[in-house]
Amino acid sequence: MPVRDVYVIGAGMTPFSGKLHAGKTGRELLVEATLEAVKSVDKGIDLKRDVEAVFVGYFTPELYEHQSHIGPLAASWLGLTPKPAFRTEIACASSSAALFAGITAIASGVCDLVLVGGVEKMTNLDTFGVTEALAMASDDLSESRVGATFPGLYALLAQAYFRRYGATWEQLQKVPIKNHYNGSLNPKAHFQQTIAQLAEKVGAKEGVKYRDELDFLKNSPFNRVVAYPLRLFDCCPISDGAAVAFLASSEVARKFTDTPLRLLGVGMGSDSVALQDRVELTSLRATRSAAEMAYKMAGIEPKDVDVAEVHDCFTIAEWLAVEDLGLIGKGEAPKAYAEGLTNIDGEIPVNTDGGLKAKGHPVGATGVGMLNEIWHQLRGTAGKRQVKKKAEVGLIHNVGGSGASAAVFIFGR
Amino acid sequence: MAENLIALFKEELAKGKLLGSKCKNCGAAFIPPRKFCPHCGGEAEAFTFKGEGTIESFTVIHVAPKQFAGSAPYILALVRLDGGAMLMGRLQGFDPSKPEEIPLGGKVKFEPLKEKRGEAEEVIPSFKPV
Repeated sequence: MPVRDVYVIGAGMTPFSGKLHAGKTGRELLVEATLEAVKSVDKGIDLKRDVEAVFVGYFTPELYEHQSHIGPLAASWLGLTPKPAFRTEIACASSSAALFAGITAIASGVCDLVLVGGVEKMTNLDTFGVTEALAMASDDLSESRVGATFPGLYALLAQAYFRRYGATWEQLQKVPIKNHYNGSLNPKAHFQQTIAQLAEKVGAKEGVKYRDELDFLKNSPFNRVVAYPLRLFDCCPISDGAAVAFLASSEVARKFTDTPLRLLGVGMGSDSVALQDRVELTSLRATRSAAEMAYKMAGIEPKDVDVAEVHDCFTIAEWLAVEDLGLIGKGEAPKAYAEGLTNIDGEIPVNTDGGLKAKGHPVGATGVGMLNEIWHQLRGTAGKRQVKKKAEVGLIHNVGGSGASAAVFIFGR
Repeated sequence: MAENLIALFKEELAKGKLLGSKCKNCGAAFIPPRKFCPHCGGEAEAFTFKGEGTIESFTVIHVAPKQFAGSAPYILALVRLDGGAMLMGRLQGFDPSKPEEIPLGGKVKFEPLKEKRGEAEEVIPSFKPV
């Protein structure tokens, strides 16, 4: 158990987008997200006076912006030097590492209030460049050198899942259909159109009238194969964005808000970077290990979770996540998704903000971006996408690479 | 055990030999060779694989990184070798446009594959049906 309780007293993010932030730099996106977070603090916060340390996740700034040394860069552009400032990196879970570091700084008593966040400025490179940047999260020796891509690695996991559980690609399409619908309710999402709307629009151009979403996803040339069996709509987009949150100790949290989120549990796990070194392909050991640690610390069970943000960089990742987190039984995702269990009005709403699929996945910003959604859902400020039931416990699950890193955070009100 | 295990692995790979390790503690096998078991952390010892195995999973890469774009679409497979280790490699002898004809669980055999990388050449693992 932590020495001191840790609270979230504010959260903010830029919109995640493939176009909106053209011409901006990562440091500017961090400032934009921070100013949003400042606005969210009920009783006000003075950055210079109150923030004691900065932890920022950014996966490959070297490739996108020819820039390392992101910690002090962020601090100086936020007017926070000479305070301690760090960059954290575990691929797509980089800002979850920032969150973990911030939590330990508060829980240990070293700091009373810290800024945690993340950013990725991906559209500086074309699709080839981004594909290569992302491939750096895989094992260079046994994967990227052989021609593996990230969609390819998750396609290998999908095939293994389909084979083991007799599931189909068609059943998996419930994931993008749900997440695009949720994204349509989120003004900060990269994609704000439902797949039904897209089917109509694309169909009109093709001169085809699609029967339903699945007919479109299956038969439109627009939904081209990226890495068989995964197609374009099985993949998250290339997004720019930043997200920030303020963590505070129990001593000071209520000076800033009467309704902070309380951290109930935290867990992180690691596994072999190379898929070929894993024990199994139909489950991520790092997720299971992180979840076990977080549930134990929180003293709760998966059934106590009211709303969850899980890592859906590719459709199959969402199925693996909900099963490895124990939200749904092993091998039962196809049935649960057919029944709409994870919809906003379902038993266990998952990725109410659109997930990585529709909200977008500016890699380094994703973990704290998820925290932004849980901040809103638990405080009842999620607007049109507010879950129907009373949300008391929210869970965040963020994966690095093809599962070599995983983070799980559980928050309560 | 030599210290430059990966260099040795690459050298032998080009000659058609698959060097790896087996864990003295849990018996897990893996490629390339190394000192610690990635599963249980136990001490590992050298093991040479025969190169035959079955297709554990596969994908067809259509959107490839720039240096592989000329070869796309190509098939990548994770093969479970006799002896236990998994190895990723290019799958040859199948039509990438007919993935439904590629048999999961099908028997394949290892073969080193030379590929151009700009001016240089790289040897990577590949598999062919038995």
